Amino acid sequence: MSENGNQFDPFDPTGMLKGMRDATLENWAKLMTGVVNTDAYAGATGAMLDASLNASAPLRKLMETSMTQSLASCNMPSRDDIVRLAEQLTHIEMRLDDMEAKLDALARSTAGRRKRSESQ
Amino acid sequence: MATTPETIDGLEQFHQVCASWHKAAENVRKFNRLLTTDAKIAQTPKQLIWTLNKAKLFRYTPVRPQAERHKTPLLLVFAIMNRPHVLDLRPGHSFVEYMLKRGYDVYLLDWGVPGPEDQSISFDEYTLDYLPRVVRKVKSFAGVEEFSMLGWCLGALIATLYAALRPNEGLKNLILLTAPLDFSDKTAGGFARWTSDPAFNADSIVEAFGNVPGELIDAGAKMLKPVENFVGAYVNLWDNLDDESKVDAWHAMNTWVRDIIPMSGAAYRQLINDFYKRNALIENSLRLRGEPVRLSNLRASLLNVIAEADHITPPCQSERIMSLVGTEDKTVHRVRGGHIGIMAGRGAEQTTWPHIDQWLADRSD
Repeated sequence: MSENGNQFDPFDPTGMLKGMRDATLENWAKLMTGVVNTDAYAGATGAMLDASLNASAPLRKLMETSMTQSLASCNMPSRDDIVRLAEQLTHIEMRLDDMEAKLDALARSTAGRRKRSESQ
Repeated sequence: MATTPETIDGLEQFHQVCASWHKAAENVRKFNRLLTTDAKIAQTPKQLIWTLNKAKLFRYTPVRPQAERHKTPLLLVFAIMNRPHVLDLRPGHSFVEYMLKRGYDVYLLDWGVPGPEDQSISFDEYTLDYLPRVVRKVKSFAGVEEFSMLGWCLGALIATLYAALRPNEGLKNLILLTAPLDFSDKTAGGFARWTSDPAFNADSIVEAFGNVPGELIDAGAKMLKPVENFVGAYVNLWDNLDDESKVDAWHAMNTWVRDIIPMSGAAYRQLINDFYKRNALIENSLRLRGEPVRLSNLRASLLNVIAEADHITPPCQSERIMSLVGTEDKTVHRVRGGHIGIMAGRGAEQTTWPHIDQWLADRSD
């Protein structure tokens, strides 16, 4: 690596190469940032992504169906069953959290009332 | 063989060449290690005080006695598609550590990593199920009725929605960092342009993946500045391998950047369709679980921090809220820097953090 990276020195080939590299990267960066910020790029990327997802959809569906059938035939829960169960657990967790908060509030108000009656 | 000055010179040159090759090999090893290992980040001591599903609420251990601390606790809410560790990047360069030293009681909400069972969690759930419970826990744990909240990126969007929907729940101060709220300018920034294109179909992405993979989100973010992210970052590291402080900073940031997580499918669909495409929040047509979200209901004191060189949330996406909120006490603070750099960059400690502290200190007792 060059010792004097910021100053031009014709006898320091590493420094010159580094300067050229930085200039190239800067120009390349400006060009690419400009390219990805165009409507043409946005349209092309969106269309390509959508097309590939649509093309792979039947295969995904097929795999999903066959996996669900295989699991069902083995008396195993499917992914959807597990998801439903996990969602229910989250709802239970929320109710428990609400109950805990109510108990906390109750305990605080009881403690406050006791403190007041003791001071009277 | 007689040793002449010429042979001594030749030997010295040979030694120099060997040393430079040795140094180059050492640099390659160091470079490789930095790319493939994790730095120790998020090291500030904290206590887990609440969980719900994957979400966790932490309280950082205060470093100043209670008598010297501000009365109003500060809740940090980060984005849902990245880990919140960037707020506590590394010892000696951590926003959390900085705020603790200035006497704040700091709480951090970590949304966690959504699994397949969380693909139906949308902004409705984040704003109306999770955040109110987090707020309730912060208030009861701190024994206070009022609190401050700092939201960053999509965390700022959720914090804004909460502040507009629940204005009477004790939110005293709201700090928004690089908040993506107004998507009326479809040419501002790559994300707005890409997602507003009719060919971009969020529904088919969610249909295919369930939760949107972190790799896809990460690739999208990096493609906004492809040369800087895929080449420049590594060239920069190579050039600074001998500077330990720069290497440590790079390693910590890279550790955070590499820790990518998926985004809940329903939240992604809503983000693209309701926010990016329909601009529903600013157009006053957004409803969460049937409740209309009116920015005019937002009455907390507001500090809106905007990064002038932000390519992820361009400044125009954060500016318009100032004329729409109901609060009188509102301030915009513009910082030179990018989306992450304004809070985690080397200059943050001299620019953004002191300003947040100054603004908040006046409103926290």
